Amino acid sequence: MTLSGMAMRSAWNRRHNLLLMVLAIALSTALLLGVERIRQQVRAGFSQAVSGTDLVVGARGSPLQLMLYTVFRLGGATNNMGWDSARRIASHPLVAWSIPISLGDSHRGFPVLATSQDYFRYFRYGERHPLEMEQGRTFAGLFDTVLGAEVARRLQYKLGDRIVLTHGDVAGPMAAQFQHADKPFVVTGILAPTGTPVDRTVHISLEAMEAIHLDWQAGVPIPGMSIPPELVKKFDLTPKSITGLLVGLKLRSRVFALQREIAEDSREPLMAVLPGVALDELWEMVSVGEKGMLLMSALVVAVGLAGLVSSILAALGERRRELAILRAVGARPIDLLMLLAAEGCCLMLAGTIAGYLLLTALSAALAPWLQARLGVALAATWPQSGDLPLLGAIVVAGALASLLPGWRAYRLSLGDGLTPNT
Amino acid sequence: MLKSMKSMVDRLSPTLPMVAIGAVTLLLVVVGVGARHSAPRAQQAAAASPASAPAEGGNAPEGTYREIDWQALLPKGWDPLAPFRGMRLQRMQDGDPRAQEALFKAREYWKTAPTEPGMDGARVRIPGYVVSLDAEGDQLREFLLVPYFGACIHVPPPPSNQIIHVLASRPLPGLRTMDPVWVSGVLRVERAETMMGDAGYAMHDARLERYQER
Repeated sequence: MTLSGMAMRSAWNRRHNLLLMVLAIALSTALLLGVERIRQQVRAGFSQAVSGTDLVVGARGSPLQLMLYTVFRLGGATNNMGWDSARRIASHPLVAWSIPISLGDSHRGFPVLATSQDYFRYFRYGERHPLEMEQGRTFAGLFDTVLGAEVARRLQYKLGDRIVLTHGDVAGPMAAQFQHADKPFVVTGILAPTGTPVDRTVHISLEAMEAIHLDWQAGVPIPGMSIPPELVKKFDLTPKSITGLLVGLKLRSRVFALQREIAEDSREPLMAVLPGVALDELWEMVSVGEKGMLLMSALVVAVGLAGLVSSILAALGERRRELAILRAVGARPIDLLMLLAAEGCCLMLAGTIAGYLLLTALSAALAPWLQARLGVALAATWPQSGDLPLLGAIVVAGALASLLPGWRAYRLSLGDGLTPNT
Repeated sequence: MLKSMKSMVDRLSPTLPMVAIGAVTLLLVVVGVGARHSAPRAQQAAAASPASAPAEGGNAPEGTYREIDWQALLPKGWDPLAPFRGMRLQRMQDGDPRAQEALFKAREYWKTAPTEPGMDGARVRIPGYVVSLDAEGDQLREFLLVPYFGACIHVPPPPSNQIIHVLASRPLPGLRTMDPVWVSGVLRVERAETMMGDAGYAMHDARLERYQER
């Protein structure tokens, strides 16, 4: 039996205590890693959603609010822009493509986006990926709808299902009177997953958005007036206003000139936002909160470490006899120091690995909820390069901290000699 | 029995402590490598000095880059201040309609600023400010390089021949809008299919270095 064998048996004897310590470290590691990982993933998810779009145009107001609403479907609209302006911008010589977007309705908590065929042709996300249809096709008839991957998965829709849209974000018991129940939509297409807010969106055509609001006014159906779906085609279904316009340019370096032109258009108060710049401003604003959360998690890890060290220190008194026996069979005081330091190290390693596994399990459990709520994919993967410095820092801190009980044991065994005073 | 235990202890190689310390050392090495890859903002970028940069150039060709300033991008004989010739701007108030008109004319003039064809294919190194276009999370991949701070907010935008559309060969983490940066690469003049023959400068596979005060 070697020294390490005896140490392991001794640890096994105290296994309940040690298990609690490992659990404490695992939880604090999972917290620290989780905070950092969520931060990275949210940033990655947000920046993925806007790649390839040069300008987001909408009514004049807050650039951040426009970005968050049109691209991420978060928040609410303040104002709309006119269709004439959209047409004018689309025919500008510098503009390569433009995608009109209209928001406002919802379906069982998922936002409804009204757009044109250009959306499926020109929208890009991530590394310039276009949108792909997993099943079916885009709009052909008036009341066709294309679902994002998450919507179809969560509500278990297939091609050919009929769905009814709700006006506004209303949910709960009052929702029934806000439904466009007389004009149901048919699912004709389901998009492939993208890891962006597209996944949790229900897409309809701009004409359909006009059609379902023909007999509505100021947010409620006009009493006594109802236009059946067969007759809507007789009306002019060109939209009068839209929420925003996504614009792509022929020459990316001309974006400032067009931005100025749109902002100073005397016909309508508009603004054009550069998505990258607006996102940078958003991260600036939340960076204080992020740093606060990171600091808090680091403190939690420190608390876990303190628990570990104090536990080992407290047990030292009971282990004086054990240490004396080890001394008696030839272990030097320095061996006892290394033994206790190593015990602390191993506990830290075990706790860190357990924490990482715990985080992976939690990621797997929470990922669907996060995907549905924010459109952000939380991947449960191997440690990223951003995780490694944190993991290393935790283990190093634990190693240093466990030198303390080791030193204590060293001093005790020197002082006691071979006869403990217990 | 004590003797056999003693001989066993004598024979011991202190495996457990050594294993633990070895594991901690390994983790320290991994931490060091990991910390260099996900470099925090200030320190590590200084290591990417021109002396060591050619080794990490990615797809950018090796060789020297000529350091230029923004004047070199203007064609010979094109005067950026031509719309203001003959005006006594310092005598006018801010809201003076003549000043406003002059500003409007100047912006139209700068919108169609011609590029210098001699710069097409030049290997240059130029400093400027970043305006983010595309990023992957924290890593900025594609941006516009402009000569002065705040080019997109209150002051008029720079003339079209003073903007470079940069695509980085390796994204620099932590780069934000309005950060100063050195960009090295091959300058290209790109044309768009517009009737006016719009063209602008671009740089693909550019190498980025953070701007350090000297």
